[in-house]
Amino acid sequence: MLRFILIRLAVAVPTLLGMSVVAFAIVAIAPGDPVMMELRALGVVPKPEDIAALRAEYGLDQPFLLRYLDWLGRAVQLDLGTSIATGRSVVTEIAMRLPATLSLAVSALIGAVLVSVVFGVCALSRNRGVAACMRGLTILLVSIPSFWLALLFIYLFVLTIGWGRLVSDGTWSDLILPALTLGLGAGASLGRVVYERIRAELSEDHIRLAIAKGLAPRRILISHIAPRIVGPLATAWANTFGALLGGVVIVESIFGWPGLGQLILQAIAQRDFPVIQAYLVFMGLIFFTMSILADIVVFFTDPQLRRTLSDD
Amino acid sequence: MIERHLSLPALRFGLRGGRFGLMMGVALLLGFVVLGLSPLFVDIAPPAQMDLLARLAGPSDTHPLGTDHLGRDVLSRLIHAVPVSLGAAFATMLAILAIALPWGVIAAVAGGRVDMVMMRLADIIMAFPTLVLALAIIGFMGASLQASIIGIAAAWWPSNARMVRALVLSASQRDFVRAAYLSGASRLRVIVRHILPQVLPPLAVIISLETASVLLALSALSFLGIGAQPPTPEWGAMLNQARPFFSQAPHMLLVPGLAVTAAVLALNLIGEGLRDLLDTREPYEW
Repeated sequence: MLRFILIRLAVAVPTLLGMSVVAFAIVAIAPGDPVMMELRALGVVPKPEDIAALRAEYGLDQPFLLRYLDWLGRAVQLDLGTSIATGRSVVTEIAMRLPATLSLAVSALIGAVLVSVVFGVCALSRNRGVAACMRGLTILLVSIPSFWLALLFIYLFVLTIGWGRLVSDGTWSDLILPALTLGLGAGASLGRVVYERIRAELSEDHIRLAIAKGLAPRRILISHIAPRIVGPLATAWANTFGALLGGVVIVESIFGWPGLGQLILQAIAQRDFPVIQAYLVFMGLIFFTMSILADIVVFFTDPQLRRTLSDD
Repeated sequence: MIERHLSLPALRFGLRGGRFGLMMGVALLLGFVVLGLSPLFVDIAPPAQMDLLARLAGPSDTHPLGTDHLGRDVLSRLIHAVPVSLGAAFATMLAILAIALPWGVIAAVAGGRVDMVMMRLADIIMAFPTLVLALAIIGFMGASLQASIIGIAAAWWPSNARMVRALVLSASQRDFVRAAYLSGASRLRVIVRHILPQVLPPLAVIISLETASVLLALSALSFLGIGAQPPTPEWGAMLNQARPFFSQAPHMLLVPGLAVTAAVLALNLIGEGLRDLLDTREPYEW
């Protein structure tokens, strides 16, 4: 177990380094000079020597590799610069809003997992009408854009029935609608994975044996199929979580949920590079951690993998 | 064995279900093509023509789907958005394939160290949540439809390259591919004549489903105001402009959303239908 985690973490180091290069390079090669932009934000008409001085101050006259190492050194100490728009440290800006975004993404993920199991299992129902309906519903839910679903929910629940409200201060009851919006779509696409996985297992001989033994479908599903699909599903959950981390931006802005969404949209509009970069770094790290957790679940649920790793 | 053959009608039903979905998807997509081409044959008001006296008007004879906050005809904007919205999605998918196809094929055929390095590079991009990476790229390039196409293509290609690689790897395990190598065919010839024909059908499924998700992402970006910019008619952007007039003019909200849903649904139905047609497994019945 410990051995597996150590191997997994050792493999992760090059990927993490690669991610940091991407996050750094994306700013370094972005069109538009950050110095010029800061000067313009200050309302100064820059003179060439001012620009040169500022470039030297920021170390922008250094070669790429040195600047990258310098940036990495500061990033490891959680110093990702200050926001051009507010002048505050971007790490503080992000840390302030991160809990709201994470709680929305996690509750949407929980919803999605529940929805996906129901959809996936029902799509395999022996009743062909039910199965066809569930598959149709799945494709429909996957196809509805989350922003439109959000607007429909607001129209229905907030404006017509009067549940919920549009200005949210981050309390749990305000979480329900945005989490439902995100969870339904994500759950439907996860449901396709559940359906595919169970179908693949159903084509295996050991399931044929279980059926021949006369086991009830529920028993086969819980004790023969479930243990074998938990690992692949954990990977799918991690991927869904990654999709939700991006998806929350869309829904947060509609429901006024005080997460990272508004911050990042503002940063894109104002071309606030440090904020965007820090956002990329944080989301990348969170998603990366989830993928490692998923790999550990895969390891735990796959006896063959466990045996090969403990042998050598 | 006989009993399994007896359960074949079930299989046929499944096939028919898949075909029905496929047909519906193709019909929907053809509908969009006809809709997109209709300005060439039918006289439709230009999408930017304003009728300030009829702002936010509901459906009427002159404006079958009503007008928006500037008095522009919603139907006309919806139709003129077809080439923009669908065109952007197909352009993005082409860009993704232009990278993913050679990347996946080369990695799979070369194998060894080349494969490892190429897949490692793809993994690094895939380690970021796709939409987050796309948002960041758009942020650094400045919001526009081109930027969102580039951002999405840059974030989406690695997973596609991985799928292409997996398809090519399983295709090159076949005996006739080995036989072709043994009979002295060049690598290029084996790839073009023996591997690609095997890869194309499952690739068609992937392309169709991925175009659907790309279309969703592009319209979401336009909805957030960082994709297509006004006054370009685009479904997501139309929804964005409709937001302030939510309770006064719900018709502005309904139609573009339905258009996105129908287009994505068409692509998903085609993808799922094709997948069902290609699926030869026979799950055991309980």
